[in-house]
Amino acid sequence: MIKIAGLTKRYGDRTAVDGLTFTVEPGRVTGFLGPNGAGKSTTMRMILGLDRPDAGTVTIGDRRYVDLPRPMREVGALLDARAVHPMRTARDHLLCLAQTNAIPAARVDEVLELVGLTSVARKRAGTFSLGMGQRLGIAVALLGDPKVLMFDEPVNGLDPEGIKWIRELMRGLAAEGRTVLVSSHLMSEMALTADHLVVIGRGRLIADVSIDDFVRQGSDVLVRADDQDSFAGRLTELGATVRPDDDGGLVVTGLEPREIGRAALAAGVVLSELTPRRVSLEEAYMDLTRDSIEFQASAA
Amino acid sequence: MSAPFADTARSEWTKFRSVPSNPRNLVAAVLLMVGLGAVTARGAGSGYAAMPQQARELFDPVHASLYGGFLFAQISVGTLGVLMVGSEYATGMMRTSMTVVPRRGRLLAAKMVTYGLIALVVGVVSSFAGFLLGQVTIASGGAPTATLGDPGALRAVVGMGVLWALVGLTGVAIGTLLRATMSATTLLVTVNFLIPIIGPRLLSDAAGNWLETYWPISAGLQIINTVQDPDRLTPWTGLGLMAAFTAALLALAFVLFRERDA
Repeated sequence: MIKIAGLTKRYGDRTAVDGLTFTVEPGRVTGFLGPNGAGKSTTMRMILGLDRPDAGTVTIGDRRYVDLPRPMREVGALLDARAVHPMRTARDHLLCLAQTNAIPAARVDEVLELVGLTSVARKRAGTFSLGMGQRLGIAVALLGDPKVLMFDEPVNGLDPEGIKWIRELMRGLAAEGRTVLVSSHLMSEMALTADHLVVIGRGRLIADVSIDDFVRQGSDVLVRADDQDSFAGRLTELGATVRPDDDGGLVVTGLEPREIGRAALAAGVVLSELTPRRVSLEEAYMDLTRDSIEFQASAA
Repeated sequence: MSAPFADTARSEWTKFRSVPSNPRNLVAAVLLMVGLGAVTARGAGSGYAAMPQQARELFDPVHASLYGGFLFAQISVGTLGVLMVGSEYATGMMRTSMTVVPRRGRLLAAKMVTYGLIALVVGVVSSFAGFLLGQVTIASGGAPTATLGDPGALRAVVGMGVLWALVGLTGVAIGTLLRATMSATTLLVTVNFLIPIIGPRLLSDAAGNWLETYWPISAGLQIINTVQDPDRLTPWTGLGLMAAFTAALLALAFVLFRERDA
């Protein structure tokens, strides 16, 4: 479990991460979403103690990352798969990292097998394709068989087969009860992988919800009724939010279509339209982050 | 030595040996030390015949066999020290290293100890080789030679190895401070090669004399003298000054390495 509380990081007068608070729970894949520059990588670097927060705390199970005696056995991370000495072989790269945490060399060969790099174990990492490099980075994360895993944009630049492989790996790790945090700026990717979403924009928390709730939040129902004004009042009493749309209909959020139909029956109101409008994850995400995109193309 | 430190040092050794250019550069340093040492020693030895009596008394076969080789070998030794840290910054590997060893003091200390020992061991061995081969080439010029049993000879030869380690550690410190391999190497060559060699020729006598006495590498090189120049520091004081300079750089490197964001 990763606990983040009041996390803040400033670079000069720019606040990259601004009072961020959320918890990443075990047993599910948590998607960490936000537009480019939202502060995702900065947050991940602070989780790993690479950058020092200006305020707030990060704890892994109740301890700070730097206080973990054998961090690779608790947290595995893929931040930048290109961060490898190009002249070192894949096996030596894994071996030198394993040695720091007293992980036996046999485990190095195990993870090489696991990510499918056994046949190129003695090739220099600099000769690897993007996909092979990504697999090597994931092998590093898996070396210590950790309970917590973090992947920063793991599918960037991968071919469809590689994307599918990483997706299944992450789902498998979560199914084993591990904590999995994966960042992306692509909602479409998260829709297929994540159970839970943490959305940030301009360093601030925008949403911390399950995928299902995320879609529900963005959905509404279009209603046309005979006695529209009084029916709107009735729906508001039931806890819905109602606003008129441009064509004289009602846009209702907070109630399911069935609940609205039942209310109409009880009030004896005739409905001429009852249309559930389920937005796609992509649309919901765009709506949510529209105000926090740093570099936006102006509408032509 | 705590277990986590030993693990980290073992990892640094794996890192060092697994990049092929590192062992190659080390071999280059040995060849420069022994080969160039023999050539310059031969030159010093053959000049002996033409020397006036006063200069002959100051002729130091121990110094003659070690100095020339070291001057060039140290560039390779120092550069390898720079690369211990600089190559990790250049490739991005440093972030991975800091992630798996979040105790940065331990990480940097492991780099220093590992490379310090490598430089010391290889330095002592090639110093012995340079000394022995140097005596042979000096003799071929007809000059008097030294043996390891002569006063100060063993101190000079072993001290030469210590100097290798100090130059290597200076490289590690400068690489850490600058985080960029090219500029760190340039600075290292300037500090340990250009300034002590060219400096005295360009400066006034007083400034040049000061440089030859107190400039860290020049002071450190007093350790290979067996004939004391009254204007210079004694061997141990000189080596101590070089060690203090190196220690100060290392201390600064530690502070910045722990404070900075990765």
